[in-house]
Amino acid sequence: MDHVFSHVAVLGSSGVLLCGIILLWRRSLPSYITAFRWQSITLAGLTAGVAYFGEDRNLYWVAAMILALKGLVMPRLLERMVRRFMADSEVRPYVNTASSLVISGVLVLLAYAAARPIQALATSPTRGGVPLALGLIFVSLFVIVSRRKAITQVIGFLMLENGIALLAVLGTYGVPLIVELGVFLDALMGFLVMQIFVYDIHDTFSTIDVDVLNRLKH
Amino acid sequence: MVILALLGPWIVLALVAPFRRPVGLVTSAQGALPLVSVGAALTLTWTVLKTGPVSGGWPDWFRIDPLSAFMACCVSIVGAGTMVSEALTRSARTRASATAVPATDDERAARRVATYGSLFVLAMLAAVTVGNVALMWTAIEATTIMSAILIPLRRTKASVEASWKYILIGSVGIALAFAGTVLAYVGFAGRMGRQEHALDWTLLMSVAPGLQPDLLHLAFVFLVVGYGTKAGWAPMHTWLPDAHSESPAPLSAMMSGVLLAVAQYAILRWKAVVDLASGGAFTDQVLVVFAMLSIGIGALSLVLQKNYKRLLAYSSVEHSGLVCLGLTFGPAGVFASLLHILNHALAKSASFLLAGRILRRYGSPDIERVRGLLRAMPGTGPLFAAGLLALMGFPPFGIFISEFLLFRAGFSSGHVRLTLVALLLVGIGFVALAGHLVRMLYGAVPEDVPPGETERRGLAVMVVCLLGLVALGLVLPDAVSGLISRAAEANVL
Repeated sequence: MDHVFSHVAVLGSSGVLLCGIILLWRRSLPSYITAFRWQSITLAGLTAGVAYFGEDRNLYWVAAMILALKGLVMPRLLERMVRRFMADSEVRPYVNTASSLVISGVLVLLAYAAARPIQALATSPTRGGVPLALGLIFVSLFVIVSRRKAITQVIGFLMLENGIALLAVLGTYGVPLIVELGVFLDALMGFLVMQIFVYDIHDTFSTIDVDVLNRLKH
Repeated sequence: MVILALLGPWIVLALVAPFRRPVGLVTSAQGALPLVSVGAALTLTWTVLKTGPVSGGWPDWFRIDPLSAFMACCVSIVGAGTMVSEALTRSARTRASATAVPATDDERAARRVATYGSLFVLAMLAAVTVGNVALMWTAIEATTIMSAILIPLRRTKASVEASWKYILIGSVGIALAFAGTVLAYVGFAGRMGRQEHALDWTLLMSVAPGLQPDLLHLAFVFLVVGYGTKAGWAPMHTWLPDAHSESPAPLSAMMSGVLLAVAQYAILRWKAVVDLASGGAFTDQVLVVFAMLSIGIGALSLVLQKNYKRLLAYSSVEHSGLVCLGLTFGPAGVFASLLHILNHALAKSASFLLAGRILRRYGSPDIERVRGLLRAMPGTGPLFAAGLLALMGFPPFGIFISEFLLFRAGFSSGHVRLTLVALLLVGIGFVALAGHLVRMLYGAVPEDVPPGETERRGLAVMVVCLLGLVALGLVLPDAVSGLISRAAEANVL
């Protein structure tokens, strides 16, 4: 059983990380959102899997919340935003696709190095996926700094949250449920405020390229 | 019960504040309710000192030890000061206007500040009083959201930019802090198994000596980068000058005064846990880097500054770095840091509130534009001068004492070269602030600026803050030093 469990964990976390890397070679905002949606769905599936094999009922709730919030509601809201800014939906990153992929590869290697203390400590069958979760955290940070649209930064941030959720699920079968609730509430509020600010940027500057945000210096 | 009195007033105020009338009642609530919270914080402190830590809530979500009580005092005093000053200004404005309810933009802005400002204070108070690291994280994350909403109160290109940078950098930083929390929990669960209360400070501290150091080091790096972003430490400080200078004055006062301190509190707590597992060497090394960078970048940025609100913001980076440095100087250093948090909270929030008045009168945040401040604003001018002198570390203000204690702790704990460099940088900051201040105070008042003070009542709060600062500088009351040394003791090896 543990054997199957650890395969499921590694397979699931690879899927989640892969969605993050697929995003790096896509060029339009709608495909970014699709990548994020599939990442969230995979994460929800993996969480349910850990709930089943790890025999933790609470995790089913967490999986359901991830699916509802990040798999359905947030992508919907993002798509609505993108429709508003239709003319402006090509991403044009600072770093080209090939270099992006190389950098993300290096980041995942770095994650394997950083995760050594956990690998040494943990005995749980899910530990194989932990470096992948750290890798997703690093890749998301890279997405945030290397893409110039306000929306891509939001998506990068949401992926970062997915990475942390993945880390929690693999490392300890999730944090206590009350904490999980607080995290979801914060994530939702934070997302809504970010959404307001993206509209603000668009109304004030008539673009969502963050390049224009360069008045405040020194 | 007391905890309810500490947090409750802010909830009530957040519910009442959106109402437009009766305007008198709303403004009195804004002035009076926060004072209830201050009273509760002081009572709590007294109880904690007399009988030990207080727990409460359902089921014991809150746990208040001397450190929490101290932070709760700082937060509620600055929050109340800001709200009372807002209420006084509002009532002065209502009196001056012909109609019963001034339906101006100013009023609308004031209502939003009161609503989100009280939620903001509520989140900060919750952050320092909950006994669970993960719930503390949720509360600190909520502070980002509540304060970010207020930045684009008047929508300009600059404020939209500042709000975006703030929410993005702040949220990413705080997300990394959560990753650190999760990593620490992995370490805990690996040893003790999964427990509902595993993330309570008390339990964490009691098992910390047996936790695996490598994993906690990894967690600590995430935590310091994460909460350090919120604490305004360089090189993650880039959002701070923008957010603090573009925010409305009351929000800047609370963000600079106590929000930075709440993040520093989180790091101090975590440092205690990690130190128990691995000795103090690792955490000190990490913190020293951020401390010196912050002091350096903060002090040097003061030199060429052209905008007085950004001047105050960079001074916050410098002081935040000093607090961080103190944390690495052993028990005496932690004592100095905590005292510095209190002094800085009073000085910086008063200065930002005064800067808000100056901005309204001169209509420009440029140091170049502000000339003849003493003549143009005979009340605000001298107080602003006093605030900046306090921030420079002049006696008889409290910051002089806490900086003195901090540097002494540095020398006596054997960090001679480090302390000398920090002293040099603080000296540069001193000269820069003095230069800017002199230029603002004297000279010819611009012709379009009407001389004379208006809405004088609003100044009362700043006077009280600065008098408190003088009191802390002349005689450090036993109650204060007793509380701080109890708070420091529990969190140092």
